[in-house]
Amino acid sequence: MFDALVTRARVKSPWVLHFDCGSCNGCDIETLACLTPMYDIERFGMINVGNPKHADVLLVTGTVNHRNKKVLQALYEEMPDPKVVIAIGACGLSGGVFRDAYNVVGGVDRVIPVDVYVPGCPARPEAIIDGVVAALGKLRQKAVPTAAGAGGNGRFHPRMKATGSS
Amino acid sequence: MSNLVLLLVVLPFVAAAAIYGLRAAALRSGLVMLTGGVLAVASVVLLARGLEHDFTGLPTAVLGVAWDTLITVADFALLGVILLWGLRRKSALVVLFTAAQLVLLAIFERFVLEPGPAFAPLYADSLSLILVLIISIVGSIICIYGLPYMRIHEEHLALRRSRQPEFFFYMILFLGAMNGLVLARNLLWFYFFFEVTTFCSFMLIQHDRTEEAIRNATRALWMNSLGGLAFLLGVVIAYGELGTIDMLAVVQSGSPTGVLLGALGLLAVAGFTKAAQLPFQSWLLGAMVAPTPVSALLHSSTMVKAGVYVVLRFAPAFAGTALSTGLALCGGFTFLACAALAIGQSNGKRILAYSTVSNLGLILACAGINTKAAFTAAVLLIVFHALSKGLLFLCVGSIEQEIGSRNVEDMRGLFHRMPRTAVITITGILSMLLPPFGVLVSKWLAIQAAAENIVVVTLVALGSALTVVYWARWAGLLMGSRKAGAPWESQPLLTRGALAVLCGAVVVLSLLTPVVYGELILPMFAAMPALDAAAPLEVGAGGVLGGPMGAFAVYPVFVVLVVGLLAAVLFMRRTGRTRYTHPYLSGIHVGERDAGVFRGPMNLPVTAELGNYYLATIFGEARLTRSANLAAIVLILLMMGLAMKGGVPS
Amino acid sequence: MKIALLTLAGLVLAPLAGGLLAGVDRKVTAWLQSRKGPPIIQPFYDLIKLFAKEKLAVNPWQVLCAWVYLMAAVFSVVLFFNQADLLLLFFVQAVGAVFLVMGALSVPSPYSQVGAQRELLQVLTYEPLLMLVFVGIYQVTGSFRISSVLDHPRPLLLELPLLYLVLTYALTIKLRKSPFDFSTSHHAHQELVRGVLTEYSGPFLGLVELAHWYETVLILGLCALFWATSVPGMAILLGATYFLELLVDNTMARMTWRWMLRYVWTVGLVLAFTNLLWLHL
Ligand code: SF4
Repeated sequence: MFDALVTRARVKSPWVLHFDCGSCNGCDIETLACLTPMYDIERFGMINVGNPKHADVLLVTGTVNHRNKKVLQALYEEMPDPKVVIAIGACGLSGGVFRDAYNVVGGVDRVIPVDVYVPGCPARPEAIIDGVVAALGKLRQKAVPTAAGAGGNGRFHPRMKATGSS
Repeated sequence: MSNLVLLLVVLPFVAAAAIYGLRAAALRSGLVMLTGGVLAVASVVLLARGLEHDFTGLPTAVLGVAWDTLITVADFALLGVILLWGLRRKSALVVLFTAAQLVLLAIFERFVLEPGPAFAPLYADSLSLILVLIISIVGSIICIYGLPYMRIHEEHLALRRSRQPEFFFYMILFLGAMNGLVLARNLLWFYFFFEVTTFCSFMLIQHDRTEEAIRNATRALWMNSLGGLAFLLGVVIAYGELGTIDMLAVVQSGSPTGVLLGALGLLAVAGFTKAAQLPFQSWLLGAMVAPTPVSALLHSSTMVKAGVYVVLRFAPAFAGTALSTGLALCGGFTFLACAALAIGQSNGKRILAYSTVSNLGLILACAGINTKAAFTAAVLLIVFHALSKGLLFLCVGSIEQEIGSRNVEDMRGLFHRMPRTAVITITGILSMLLPPFGVLVSKWLAIQAAAENIVVVTLVALGSALTVVYWARWAGLLMGSRKAGAPWESQPLLTRGALAVLCGAVVVLSLLTPVVYGELILPMFAAMPALDAAAPLEVGAGGVLGGPMGAFAVYPVFVVLVVGLLAAVLFMRRTGRTRYTHPYLSGIHVGERDAGVFRGPMNLPVTAELGNYYLATIFGEARLTRSANLAAIVLILLMMGLAMKGGVPS
Repeated sequence: MKIALLTLAGLVLAPLAGGLLAGVDRKVTAWLQSRKGPPIIQPFYDLIKLFAKEKLAVNPWQVLCAWVYLMAAVFSVVLFFNQADLLLLFFVQAVGAVFLVMGALSVPSPYSQVGAQRELLQVLTYEPLLMLVFVGIYQVTGSFRISSVLDHPRPLLLELPLLYLVLTYALTIKLRKSPFDFSTSHHAHQELVRGVLTEYSGPFLGLVELAHWYETVLILGLCALFWATSVPGMAILLGATYFLELLVDNTMARMTWRWMLRYVWTVGLVLAFTNLLWLHL
């Protein structure tokens, strides 16, 4: 019962950190639009926080390049478990139109594990909210092992992932 | 009994002389420790023998010379020496004030003073005993701490010939003079010891003989000579009114007239200079140039405490008069102004200095409020301020010797480098501003006592809020990370011992506040009929200090907060499952976890500049000092004027 | 016995009331902004979630400070329901305030450092006001004990109307409502990230949040003392006061701490002084 309560609380209180990882700002504007009273994401207990240490959900827009990948990693590391990552827009998914640029690493999942992909160029606010709701499903799954105390939400090792995907 | 007085007053004089003669460091250390130990034991024994001593059995002469004559001769000799120093330092003010004292004293002793009814020249009640304990125990600890400190200090200076004999000569002499001062009943003796402390502080401040030290010492000397002059003038006028130099007779004179009030006002001004109240604070701030044990001694157990002792001693004599109200205002104003000045400081020792002046202001405000509750607050504050401030100075001294700076900004994350000292310093700081420590009990009482006077209570309320700011931020930045298994700092045994003993004493004595009150302060009121008729506080079950106005449940608060803290430490210790990470630096941090370094332009590491708000535009010395001094002078003149206009009850 | 029960009830109910109030606060704020807003029990979801998160800290001192903050807040509520001395209660809650700041200062992060400095300035601003309010209560009832306030036959509000205003200033600052939300704000996003709370995360942020609920109850309790003679009166007073807080919060922009210090000290001191003076004369 306790676990159920915790899971429910987690799903009901996703605090979101939005990181602009080299986006053209198209996706950022759409993300910020979600915060307007029109969409009122606070209905779902969502809060847009400015600090990874308070965040449960990491929203990443834009492509990852060699400089900001460290920042992305650091922000991810500074978030307490359990946490989910949402990659937004074509750029966040794969590098988008910038994919072939010399400085681009690629999509968010080249650096940190991504739970939900929200496509679009830019992604629509409704799609983003939808993505967050989908992420909450992931959070529900992740929630249980942490409550049991096992490190089951596994710290992600980018190198492993990198070798795996290449 | 007389043996105890010999031990407390005469022994330090003798031991000091011996220390001056001894060049061997080991012998000197032994003698300092021995004297300190004897003083501490003797003070406790004196307390154990009873709360009031009139020392009637004292021999009136030594080697055929009457004590009185001896004191007189020594007094003139001392004034002569001070005069010479004044000439040597080319300080017109010192010369002026000292010459005036010499002339006044000569006229008084030769032409005015007539043999009156005999009385024992010494006297102790529990106020004196409390001060004797502070002087003999805290003062001795500071002297002992000074042993390793001065060794390292002189290593840094690379002197050809050690000047420690002179240093410890004045330190130990200081303790003897202070004991004499608080035990004196004959006002001329009182005056003599008052002057000895002035001289000792002068010699100690200029100990390092740097240009700055000499300048500041000279300033201290003229200010305190002014105080000496005020004291002597007060004594002479009081003699003219009452025909006695018996302190008790003056205190119990009852419903003082205008002239006598003026005399008492002069004594209060003498106390102001000693206690470095505005506008005399600059001498105590300047005294920072001296080695840290001197600061610790001046600030906690001697010198400034002599100032508040003088005022507190005579306060019952003017209870309910306009002088008393004026005093409360002056004290309250100093409390506020110096707390504000402390906020503008980043130099640790200056913060401590302003805090001392500020707290002494609160003590004097309590003396001015002049009720039993206020009196209790003042005495408790003397005790706990002596312990905490002594401790903090010793901490800053140790920190300075280790990190080479006394700036609080340089003490960031000190826990990393000096864990033990950092924890003790944090405890010391918290003991000045949070319950369950004794300072807070006295602050609680002070506010209650001041509640009738809305001006004073406003001053106190503003002042204590300002106090929180400069203490809290200092304590906070001492904290930091430490790697598991990193070595503890190494420290000379005596240093560590002194810190540990004082820190322990602060905590234990805070718990014992009700006992201190019930056993030492409460009996005082029997001899003070002039104070308010209201029943004093009662010590209830469970250490509840309660009166009609409120109650401070000392033991429960202590237990809850200490248990809470220990529980919190336990939670903190269970760090096994806590993940430690970098501070949030927008995700661009580099390097060590607690370094606060981020990756800047060109991939270069940049340290995040951190700093307290010192609010120099609001609380800076440059901005406040002049107007605060001016206001203080006006207040003092007002106080004196009101006093001399006659004892109009306010 | 009655007092012990009351204390126990306060101990358990205070966080519930504080949490619910925070929920209502968010709901009403949303309503004022024509939004729907989160459910009333949202703060409890947040708290449970925080406690179930991974323990994350920069150094152990933060853990210590968060715990002490909570304990001091709980203890001051206990003292309140024990009808203890107002000044004692005030000092105990100051323990919490100081430890919160120290924890933030223990971390070399500019955001939490600046937040801590600002928090200290907020403490500096409201502390003397609170103390003067207590002095006013003393002047009316002849004691600093809460019990003597409860024994007072008339509502304090009649004799201390200006000091009640002063108390609401202190309340606004203590609750960190606009225009006084410098050190941290409830909107989770400000120029200082989250100011003094930036480096408290997960369960430790939960502790701080819980302590804040206790403190809210404490300070509203202090407000309630001003109409302690009737329960409906108390409810009206608290309701009106809190709604006013929300209105102010939603209609004001964040100002600067300089302005706060100058404005609140001037207005607060003048109001307090006037009120004390007319009691005195
Ligand atoms: S996906 Fe399109 S809109 Fe979004 S950041 Fe990339 S280019 Fe811009």
